[in-house]
Amino acid sequence: MSGEEDENAAELKIGDEFLKAKCLMNCEVSLILDRRYEQLQQMSDDPTNQVSQVFEKSLQYVKRFSRYKNPDAVRQVREILSRHKLAEFELCVLGNLCPETVEEALAMVPSIKTRGRTHEDEEIDKMLNDLSLIKKFE
Amino acid sequence: MFFHIVLERNMQLHPRHFGPNLRDKLVAKLMKDVEGTCSGRHGFVVAITGVDNIGKGLIRDGTGFVTFPVKYQCVVFRPFKGEILEAVVTMVNKMGFFAEAGPVQIFVSNHLIPDDMEFQSGDMPNYTTSDGSVKIQKDSEVRLKIIGTRVDATEIFCIGTIKDDFLGVINDPGAAA
Repeated sequence: MSGEEDENAAELKIGDEFLKAKCLMNCEVSLILDRRYEQLQQMSDDPTNQVSQVFEKSLQYVKRFSRYKNPDAVRQVREILSRHKLAEFELCVLGNLCPETVEEALAMVPSIKTRGRTHEDEEIDKMLNDLSLIKKFE
Repeated sequence: MFFHIVLERNMQLHPRHFGPNLRDKLVAKLMKDVEGTCSGRHGFVVAITGVDNIGKGLIRDGTGFVTFPVKYQCVVFRPFKGEILEAVVTMVNKMGFFAEAGPVQIFVSNHLIPDDMEFQSGDMPNYTTSDGSVKIQKDSEVRLKIIGTRVDATEIFCIGTIKDDFLGVINDPGAAA
């Protein structure tokens, strides 16, 4: 088991270092890694030799699980979610999994309802609606 | 989850690299040394995105090597206990199944698969519900919750569950075909 025994993402216990760090949604990682891969391609003919297995697997993964492809949509998603006083980690879980109902969102990110923040169901519902609109019009 | 974090590392550089290209050499070596590695604390280092600061070098007694403290930004992948994420199934057997989320491997034991799903052997081993409506096989996409992590020097390994609300198969490659 891991060193930090009380680690639990559901209660947002992910260590100070990661709590303060910037989280990235899969779609954002996809943009970053894609650009990096193009740079490598320009430098050498065969970039597959240059990148680590970790890089390759991550790129495949984020491409498969990116909800939003176009950079503008990605920016909008972050903007909408950041209006709701969410922690970085919560923001990215929602952006990655795109829950459809309030109930689902709360199951994915139980910490929304804790920590003394007042997130009413209607507010969460509105947030999820806004997200699905971006997806629709992408 | 992927994070963008700032890390620090002491880089040792051989004196033959000293010259006008010292910074480039240092950055190239940093990428080669760090990218693709894994530590229990920070997870997998996927890509370095920038170098913030290279400190004053310190000559090591006796060897001539110089140590530079380097601050750099990078994208890391770090799984957490309690985190919910999506993964691709890579192997299915009667003990459970393995899935991959980026660089990390996740094992879901058959005790943590809903009770109504039964193991079916064959050339495409899978877990299927009694009415056949839901099937987990190689290449299925599942949403799972990480309930435990094991860290060793070069790898992080996770245990997951799909026995909870809103977890399980997202899409089924067999149904689409």
